Amino acid sequence: MTDYNAMGDEDFRREIRGFFEREYPPHLRYILQRARWPEVKDWWRKLYEKGWIAPNWPREWGGMALDAGKMVIYLEELERHGCTRPPDQGITQVGPLIMRFGTQAQKDHYLPRTLSGEYIWCQGYSEPNAGSDLASLQTSAVIEGDYFVVNGQKIWTSLADDATHCYLLVRTDKQAKKQRGISFLLVGLKTPGITIRPIRNLAGHEEFCEVFYDKVRIPRDALVGELNDGWTVAKALLGYERLGIGSPRRPQYALRRLESVARAKGLFEDPGFADRFTALKLDIEDGATLYGRFVEQVKRGEPLGHDVSMLKIWTMETWQRLTELLVEIGAEEGVMTGVREIGGVETDFLSPFYYARPATIYGGSSEIQRNVIAKYVLDLPSG
Amino acid sequence: MLADSVSGFIGRGPDLARVRKLRDDPREHDPAIWKQMADLGWLGILVPERYGGLGLGLAEMAIVARGLARALAPEPLTACAVLAASVLVEGENGELKTVELPKLVAGDTLVALAWQENAGVFDPAAIHCRAAPFEGGYKLSGTKRFVSGSAQADAFLVSAGIENELALLWVPRATAGATVALEPLADGRSFGTLTLNDALVPKSRVVTAGAPASAALALALDHGAAIAGAELLGVMDRALEMSLEYLRTRVQFGKPIGSFQALQHRAVDLHIHRELASAVLDETLGALDRRPDPGRRAALASRLKARCADAALKITREAIQLHGAIGFTDEYDAGLYLKRALTLAAWLGGASWHRRRYARLTLG
Repeated sequence: MTDYNAMGDEDFRREIRGFFEREYPPHLRYILQRARWPEVKDWWRKLYEKGWIAPNWPREWGGMALDAGKMVIYLEELERHGCTRPPDQGITQVGPLIMRFGTQAQKDHYLPRTLSGEYIWCQGYSEPNAGSDLASLQTSAVIEGDYFVVNGQKIWTSLADDATHCYLLVRTDKQAKKQRGISFLLVGLKTPGITIRPIRNLAGHEEFCEVFYDKVRIPRDALVGELNDGWTVAKALLGYERLGIGSPRRPQYALRRLESVARAKGLFEDPGFADRFTALKLDIEDGATLYGRFVEQVKRGEPLGHDVSMLKIWTMETWQRLTELLVEIGAEEGVMTGVREIGGVETDFLSPFYYARPATIYGGSSEIQRNVIAKYVLDLPSG
Repeated sequence: MLADSVSGFIGRGPDLARVRKLRDDPREHDPAIWKQMADLGWLGILVPERYGGLGLGLAEMAIVARGLARALAPEPLTACAVLAASVLVEGENGELKTVELPKLVAGDTLVALAWQENAGVFDPAAIHCRAAPFEGGYKLSGTKRFVSGSAQADAFLVSAGIENELALLWVPRATAGATVALEPLADGRSFGTLTLNDALVPKSRVVTAGAPASAALALALDHGAAIAGAELLGVMDRALEMSLEYLRTRVQFGKPIGSFQALQHRAVDLHIHRELASAVLDETLGALDRRPDPGRRAALASRLKARCADAALKITREAIQLHGAIGFTDEYDAGLYLKRALTLAAWLGGASWHRRRYARLTLG
């Protein structure tokens, strides 16, 4: 097996870039919505057969075992080529959590099936009354013999109808204080009593779902970590998620479109527009510089602190402003659906705008991220 | 090491009583402090060792400039040790370098760069000042404005046209026909207006002429703008720190006001702006110290100055708001930081001018 970490950075970059360029389906480059499983399963298969589907996993479980520096290169190349994100939560979330907190039997059962794409995972965290205040979740699991019996409702579960399995936070002790009485379960979505209902979003896509649990019996060996200690399991990967989510590459598509359309319309002749555009471009570039600082920290093997939240705030809010300007310069055509052609440039004005909207909500809203920085970084007093 | 000596120099709390005493004083800064800065080697950071300097780069100069600006030191470090020193170093007059650079580094001769003539015009070639050949030398006439460091400058480096070429000439303050008038700035320092009326300059005092003069001036101005960015960061550092201290301790409605989410979120935004500026400072100075070509250098300097000017103005304006009425009083220090931010932001090109230049250089 290749030791990728022993390769020079540039050799490694060249090798994966070449593979992505040769093998990634061209029609899926820079798509503006989450890809569905039937569209991306061939790409998953190719990565799996190459041994590249799990860059973050250790080699004993079929991963590439990339160190932080190589991992950054891998992600940069995916983004550079405009590769879409498959339903990868099994690789990014569930796998690492099972490796860290799971039993040997759980590892042996779930990890190979997750790697091959036989098991596709979705996340069962949020509830109608537990959004930003996730720890107030009420979906309950009561032990009856060898089973947990689960009742309740989860919501905003992305691509649940593509998934075969769900990782779920449930309340297992109603007496304990908020974070204490929560457990982490693995659930097959074919289990009787589970109903999935897609929710149409503003863009007209059915990316997220509601999932209802009605007396769903889940074997006790589906518990990951200790009973009532699920919050610890769920929190284990948060910092890295915020780094990935704050990547400055996300807004690149909108920035390129904005520049092409503005050129086609001769808008750079207008000094007012030119200043707004340049300010936004610099906001992206300077954000990339800030991102680079955190990446260096990861490469040095240092843990990320709460400060990393600022990346998500800055990148996502800048991205939104970019998409707003794109709609604005489109004028009447900016509010028409589908792909419009202006001066030979084909642009979908509204999709980037819609796509950027939830970016300041998911993964911890901008407001929650600001609360975190105020408390843990700026040391401001609690209310 | 430099960082330690800067923080040792400033002490635990910045000495703002000294800053207040020097406000609107025509001397502008304290010569004894200037001499101490020279003794620490700071005036020679960008000067090669053979002329008595340390031969270091902008990254090192930025450490000193950021630290001093945090204490609002009025000493003209950027004006003399970046702008004027860079022109001399880049110039081709070997004798002038050998004689004058060691004196500049030692703090014995304070030199200021007199290049600009009109407000908001930053094209070094857009000048009316002329040097006419006269008895083997030149007769210099024209008006230079917005000259930072004028208050105690011993000599000026003046840009002027010699026929169709740009030249930079060394003009001692005491030269007959040269007069300096000081105009007060928001932060208590001053810009000088240097009026030249047939001031005589010997040929030996031409620092550089022609294309090399334009190149030297362009480099000095980019490097000056970059270090002004570092100064703006020093201003942000302290203004934000003061605001956060206030939010933690000021009690209203029975609680520290920093527990209110509206204020917490504003504080976080200021923190993000400071961190962005700081990351951009480190990256651009590193790139500038690798001596890129002039186009890239100008783009880097503009990117840095635009970010720092906007961030410093935002942070210092918000510092006033977060402090409430006390922030608007002259006796409270927050206002001193706002006023320094105002003058540094406008000096050597404001944010929108730098964004325009950046756009011109990068959009093609």
